[in-house]
This record gives sequence, C-alpha cells and structure tokens, in this order.
Amino acid sequence: MSAAQIRFATLWRREVNRFMKIKKQTIGAPLLETFLYISVFGAALGSRIDKLHGIDYVVFVIPGLIMMAWSINAFTNNSSSILQQKFQGAIQDQLSSPASPLELLLAFSLGGFMRGLIVALLTFTAASFLVDLPVDHVLVLIPSLFLVGFFFSQLGVLIGVRAEQFDDVAFAQTFVLQPLIFLGGVFYSASLLPEPFQTLTHFNPIFYMINLVRYGFVGFSEVSIALSLLALTAATAALFAVNLRLFGDGYKLRA
Amino acid sequence: MSDLALHITELAKRYPTGVEALRGVSLQVEPGELFGLLGPNGAGKSTLIHCTTGLAQPTAGSIRVFGHDAIDHYADARQAVGLAPQEPNLDWFLTVAETLDYHAGYFGMPKRERRERTDELLETFSLTEKRDERTRTLSGGMKRRLILARAMMHRPRLLILDEPTAGVDVELRLELWHYVQKINQEGTTILLTTHYLEEAEQLCDRIAFIAEGRIVAEGTSAEVAARFDVSSLEDAYLALVGRKELSRSHVEVVP
Repeated sequence: MSAAQIRFATLWRREVNRFMKIKKQTIGAPLLETFLYISVFGAALGSRIDKLHGIDYVVFVIPGLIMMAWSINAFTNNSSSILQQKFQGAIQDQLSSPASPLELLLAFSLGGFMRGLIVALLTFTAASFLVDLPVDHVLVLIPSLFLVGFFFSQLGVLIGVRAEQFDDVAFAQTFVLQPLIFLGGVFYSASLLPEPFQTLTHFNPIFYMINLVRYGFVGFSEVSIALSLLALTAATAALFAVNLRLFGDGYKLRA
Repeated sequence: MSDLALHITELAKRYPTGVEALRGVSLQVEPGELFGLLGPNGAGKSTLIHCTTGLAQPTAGSIRVFGHDAIDHYADARQAVGLAPQEPNLDWFLTVAETLDYHAGYFGMPKRERRERTDELLETFSLTEKRDERTRTLSGGMKRRLILARAMMHRPRLLILDEPTAGVDVELRLELWHYVQKINQEGTTILLTTHYLEEAEQLCDRIAFIAEGRIVAEGTSAEVAARFDVSSLEDAYLALVGRKELSRSHVEVVP
C-alpha cells in the first residue's frame, strides 16, 4: 500500500471504528426502530389495509423503511462524528496531517455511508424473513440506494461542518430531515393524498428517492425513474462539490 | 535557504473578526535547533504554530519546512512536522494505543512499523499498562505524555511543542524536558513555546519574543536580554510586557 492509501484507509477506519465501538446505539437502536415500524405499520396496521396499487401494504412500506434507515444513519453518523471531533479538538490530528481535502471528505462521508449500509442490509435481511420481498429492478435499486446513501452522507458532513453545537445537528434532523422523510411517502402513496398535499409532495426531493427505491424492489413508482435518477445524481454531485469547496477552504474547520 | 528547518517570511493572519494575530512575522529556525518562541498570551504564538501546521490559513506570507511549502502544496511539509498542541485534543473514542496507531496511519506509516513504534513510545512514556484504556480515562499528566508521544509517532524532523508542560506537576515537567533534550540531541529540530522562562533560557539555543503579532527580539537569551538592556531573559520579558517593576532585582531582601 502507498502512503496515500494507508492514510485514506486509516481515516476511513477511524470513522467506522467510532460507530462500531458504540454499536448498540449506532446499529442496534436504528435496527430495532425499523423493525418496530415494520411490525406496527406492516404487520399490525397492514393487515387491516387493502393493497396499495396491487401491492401488499407491508411490502409497499418496506422499501421506504430501508431507504429511511440508510439515509438517517448516514446523516446522523457523519454530522455527529464531525461535530464531536470539532468539540474535542481531535479533528486537528487529521487536519494537520498530509491528507488532502478530498481524502478527508471521502473518509468522513464513507463512515456514515457504511453505517447506513449495514443498517439497511440488516433491515433487508430481517424483512426478507418476515415477508416475501421481491427485487424487481436490481439495476435501478442498487445505484438508487448507493446514491441516496451518498447524498445523505454528504448532507451529514455539511451539517456537521456548519454546526457549532449539538442543537444545530438535532434541529436539522428533527425539524427538517425527518418530516421530509415521513411526508415523502414512506408509509403511503402520494396519489391517495388530497390536494394541495399531493402536489406539495412532488416538491419534496425525498419523495423521488423513495419512489426510486420502491421501484427497484416492487416495480412501482409514481414518478419518472430516469428523471429521478438523473436529478438524484445531480443533487449528490452538487452537494459533494459544495463540501469539497468547504473542506478546501477549511470552512469552520481551520481558523 | 531550503536547508532551514522552518523559514517563515512576512507571515500575516487576520481573523474574520478583524483581529490581526500576525503582522508580518519572519522567522528562521536552523535544523537541529531548540528554538523558543516566547510572548504573553494573545501575542500570536499559537496562531503562528497553527499556520505552520495547517490548522489556520495565513492571510499573507510564506512558510517553508525543510524547503517544502507549508501552505499551498503542504503534504511534504506536514509530513515533516509533529505537533503537541497546548490544549489536550485526544479522541475520546480511541484507546491509548489506537491514538498512536491512527496518528501514524494519517501520516502513511505501514502497519508493522506503526505497531513497533507504538510499543516503543508507550514504553518511553510509561504508558504501556494503559495501552487499551480509552483516552478520556487518563489523568492530565498521562494525557500530556500521550500527546507528546503522538506528536513523535511519525518521526517528525520538526517537533512543535505548544506549552507542553502547562498545568503538569514538577516531576512530569522535568521528565518531559529531559525527553525533549534527548530527542533534540538526536537531531530533531524543536520549536517550543513556554511560559517557564528559566527553562527556556536553559534549554533553547535561540529565542524569539513575539508581541502583538510581531517578532520584537531574537537571538540567544543573552542577546535578547541585551536588546532590552537587562541581564536576564525574565527581565527582558518583563520589559516586553511593560512590567519592569516586577523584576526580582527590585525585590528588597528582608533581613
């Protein structure tokens, strides 16, 4: 391995090591939360709800829950990790190393990405035991999930870098991210909503992400797949470019 | 000029608040020197160190470490520098051994070498028994030792010690000074800030006084004292801060 490869591997390992050291909180708790959603909305309420667009309700809900698990964990991990290191001053050890802004950004991003991936994979595995979960369009599903994971990893980095106190991170997660996810159609189909809520839902970017993932699993979507994939790719690339600029400038990282 | 361990030219740093922390500082440290940078709180010592190590971005001027640019193309310069900061900035999630291992990884050191170097430094700093303990459980003195060990981990040619003995007991202070002298004799260049003037006088080959972001005197301790028309470094310092009346030479001996 070259010195640059060792450096990047170590930066990334530090991020994974952080959440694995507290895995009851970072892996166990979100897994339980997702399992409870599946139990309540899928098994308990789902048995009393008719099919949605010809799909069993529990099967309709699970793709959104998997996306939700990946996105929230990717976001939370990165925003918390960066803010904690800023508070402790420990981030100085990485910032004063020869690592480039790109190496630092990728390592911070991939920490949350990995945590989201682990929780999403475990959720998928557990859900597969409970219901017959199809994977209709794997070539849409995999890039969609990876893009969603990377988008929220970037968003977590952005909030973590900007944040000056834990309240800033909590605010973004509780008052912005979670409402957008819940109102993005994880638990329902937007076509069932009355106006103006149906139209408003189309202004929620997460609505398109949920539809992409749902299409990958069950083959149903309320939006154009090609357009959604394109928009998600563009949004992820734009967010990455913003973060790279911030890391290059040392925004709220270097004095 | 490229042989200099540290070559700072017309360095300026203005913070976004408008505070001018450095106003055209020029400084040259020869390889193998033990150089003391002294001055009152807020004089610009830490800012100068942060600019050299990439933790702050200079507004103007240049910094070269062993001939390598430390601002724009900083990789080689940072590889040559080890920093023991004034404030303990250890990562709470890591153990003592991990702290050293990760730091060396950030600097591209291969695994086997990291393991051997970790064992060596843990032994040197009497931390072997604590190797698997989380850093937050260490006493203040142990944290100081670990910070110095971490700074030494990647075998820097220039070691920057920002008040390494602030708040430590006499025994540890002497222990740390002995170690600093030893590694200096082995060839490591050292830039040191301290408020212990007598020790700076004894340890340092040359000294610079910094005040209000400017170097106001530089040379051996005798030369710096002569610059202020006094006989000791302490009196020179008191003259610098405008408190000559505190000089020990003014203290009347009570019979």
